Amino acid sequence: MDNNKSQKDLEISDRRDFFKKTAALGVSALAGTSLMASEDDKAIMHHVPWGQTWGDPVTKNLYGMPSKYEHNVTRRYTKLLASGNYRASIAVTPIHESEGIITPNGLFFSRSHGGVAHIDPNQFRLMIHGLLEEEIVLTLDQLKRYPSVTRTHFIECPANGGQEWRGPQFNSLQFAKGFMASASWTGVYIKTILEDLGIKPEAQWMLAEGSDNSEMGRTVPIDKVLDDAMIVWGQNGEALRPEQGYPVRLLLPGWEGNLCVKWLKRLEFAAEPWYCKEETSKYTALKPTGKAIQHFYANEVNSTVVSPSPEKPWTDLEDGDVIEIEGLAWSGMGTITGVDISLDGGMNYVEASLKGLVLPKSWTRWSYMHTFKKGEKLILASRAMDDAGYIQPTIDEEVAIMGVESVYHRNAVETWEVTAEGKVNHVQLRTPGGVKNV
Amino acid sequence: MFKLNSKLIVSASVITAAALFTAGCMDMGAKPAGANAATAADIAGGVIYPIEDGMTGPYYVNEKAMNMKLNHGRVPTANELDAWNRDVMPDGTGLPEGEGSVEEGEELYEAKCVSCHGDFGSGGGGYPSLSKGNAVELQQTLTNNRWRDPEADGPTRVFGSYWPKASTMWWYIRDGMPHPKSKTLTTNETYALTAYMLNINEFEIDGEEVDDEYVLNREKFLKIKMPNEKGFEPNIDGPNALNDVRAYYANSANFGAKKVNPSERCMTDCQEKTAVVTRIENGGISEFNPPMSVVRDLPEAKKEALDAKSAYANNCAMCHDTGVAPPPGDKDGWSSYLSKGMDAVYKNGIDGTESGMPPKGGSSLSDADFKKVVDYLINGK
Repeated sequence: MDNNKSQKDLEISDRRDFFKKTAALGVSALAGTSLMASEDDKAIMHHVPWGQTWGDPVTKNLYGMPSKYEHNVTRRYTKLLASGNYRASIAVTPIHESEGIITPNGLFFSRSHGGVAHIDPNQFRLMIHGLLEEEIVLTLDQLKRYPSVTRTHFIECPANGGQEWRGPQFNSLQFAKGFMASASWTGVYIKTILEDLGIKPEAQWMLAEGSDNSEMGRTVPIDKVLDDAMIVWGQNGEALRPEQGYPVRLLLPGWEGNLCVKWLKRLEFAAEPWYCKEETSKYTALKPTGKAIQHFYANEVNSTVVSPSPEKPWTDLEDGDVIEIEGLAWSGMGTITGVDISLDGGMNYVEASLKGLVLPKSWTRWSYMHTFKKGEKLILASRAMDDAGYIQPTIDEEVAIMGVESVYHRNAVETWEVTAEGKVNHVQLRTPGGVKNV
Repeated sequence: MFKLNSKLIVSASVITAAALFTAGCMDMGAKPAGANAATAADIAGGVIYPIEDGMTGPYYVNEKAMNMKLNHGRVPTANELDAWNRDVMPDGTGLPEGEGSVEEGEELYEAKCVSCHGDFGSGGGGYPSLSKGNAVELQQTLTNNRWRDPEADGPTRVFGSYWPKASTMWWYIRDGMPHPKSKTLTTNETYALTAYMLNINEFEIDGEEVDDEYVLNREKFLKIKMPNEKGFEPNIDGPNALNDVRAYYANSANFGAKKVNPSERCMTDCQEKTAVVTRIENGGISEFNPPMSVVRDLPEAKKEALDAKSAYANNCAMCHDTGVAPPPGDKDGWSSYLSKGMDAVYKNGIDGTESGMPPKGGSSLSDADFKKVVDYLINGK
């Protein structure tokens, strides 16, 4: 005891000084610790405020919110895409902050043609009619009584990357590739309802029409309707968000997001197509021949590095650090079968590893372990393949067929420069003026 | 399975051919464990995952849920069908009788459209242009492509020069316009605005110029020839349309996609020799909202007025409403505390007490806001 006391006396002046400092910071040292050395981490050496006070009661935030510290993880928009006073516009997903293959509902990219409609579910009706043996009108409760399926699929705006046909524009992963997101969707296969109603043999096309301000409509071929087309009301285990068409949207797995009509009110079957505004004036891809591709359905195989990114570079890495290069691959044509990675802009490739669940028409994570060398310049490129037999083309290969005016369905290999300082820039490898048709 | 056997037979023959076409790609064999592989091509050039052994791809399905008579919903009435089945097709299906003049259209345009679409449909402010001049001449610009010369003029894609069908315009004006107040135009107003669209795009109908005196009606509307009607592929019209679409997407060269046998894909020297690193020019597009940041800090505090009653309910009521401590407005209960003065009451509240009062009741309120809650507790209002 005496010994202890004398020890304390020796320390007391230092400790007073220490407590004065820590009191100013509003934290106190952990019991039993004494002096803090300069190499010690304050986050470890001190009690933290949240460890010494009550947390929130369970009565707070009955619908949970992200940590306040995550406030920069949001959708973003730009004036360039401000059409219609932001009512015929897009806010894009922060894929540089995305984890796994599911996008939180609040971060799912938002695109509308007449603003986000807010529909009273009690007044929701879905009418299915036209070249059918029986026509039907359903309330939301009646629709949800059909046997449901749940599927994980990305939805991608076909203009994802569409601003960069003539060269890179966005030094940002969120804007270069964030016109997409992924969710687990719950609904009913349309074929399940059609088995009930009966479809007439001359029916070739289905009109899907929304009840929003723009009465968004698209024509869908019967093949897709009878394959995997769904009417969905669930998104990641809860109701669709208004931005995704609450209470009900069409989901055509793998196909243009625009075809997945939101705020759905009507499905009509007919022998001839409709020529809706968003399948003629827009969502058609003009080729150098002067002909435009219409009814351009599936988003082709695609991929990108997501870590590092311009938003989250390697500027803090030390020489010799082993670091994961991570990315996303996706295909609206089928299932990802492999991803190759290049450190020299797509000249030479090695195989990357797929990670986690590999599902049809879904985001798929891939990974490659890299040893960081300080000062080494890299150009990262990824190239995905799918089980329909497709592989991403080079920019020159894609431009040789599509030109640079087509806006939609750009899926050429994407490249990200890592500078000597570890900064990351969006670049493209392409032949000035393009190459002859290859 | 479906009541459309003739169609399934057509589809099946195409699928067989397509399956042969893609067969070489199937030996890549990256079928996930326990999942059924894709077996055939779909209409868009992708694959389908037929249900086999109770699974489609990696997903289990309840096959007993298929081909069931489910009897949900009801048959729509004739009036209900009329109310919602209002789409307008290129052959005139759904297009009502009516008429409107260019003159009336211009008046309506000036009143309801010009603020967004600009003078004579010139566009601006993020709203699309409706005309750039003579439709037939501008249709010729569709082969313009800025891939050789970035300074060249691009193609002009407006209603007159690009859209394949006039019905689209009529339908969209009636159901989608004016953008902030859609579905408010009458049939005749829609004809008038469509007439004005034709006028500013310098159309002729049946050899007659759509001039300022022109009056459009249903009969004349159905004679409109769009300059770029044949400007789209694949064919989607007529009874053979779906086969045309299937054939189009069976050839990846048609739509800029690339097929490869995985074992033969390029792994070395894969870029064109002429390709160079192209960087973003002039800073690119960087005006993002909110500004880009990946910092994890606290957001700027919102200046929200304190609601003392709800702050009490959230932080204090579990003790003060349950007899553990005095409830709001309980003068007798509070008197012994108040005898030490308000400052002492505030201090005990902020610091907490030995007898169980947590600092600020466990809340994260500022001292000033907390004192307002204390005032509410003592005064009951």
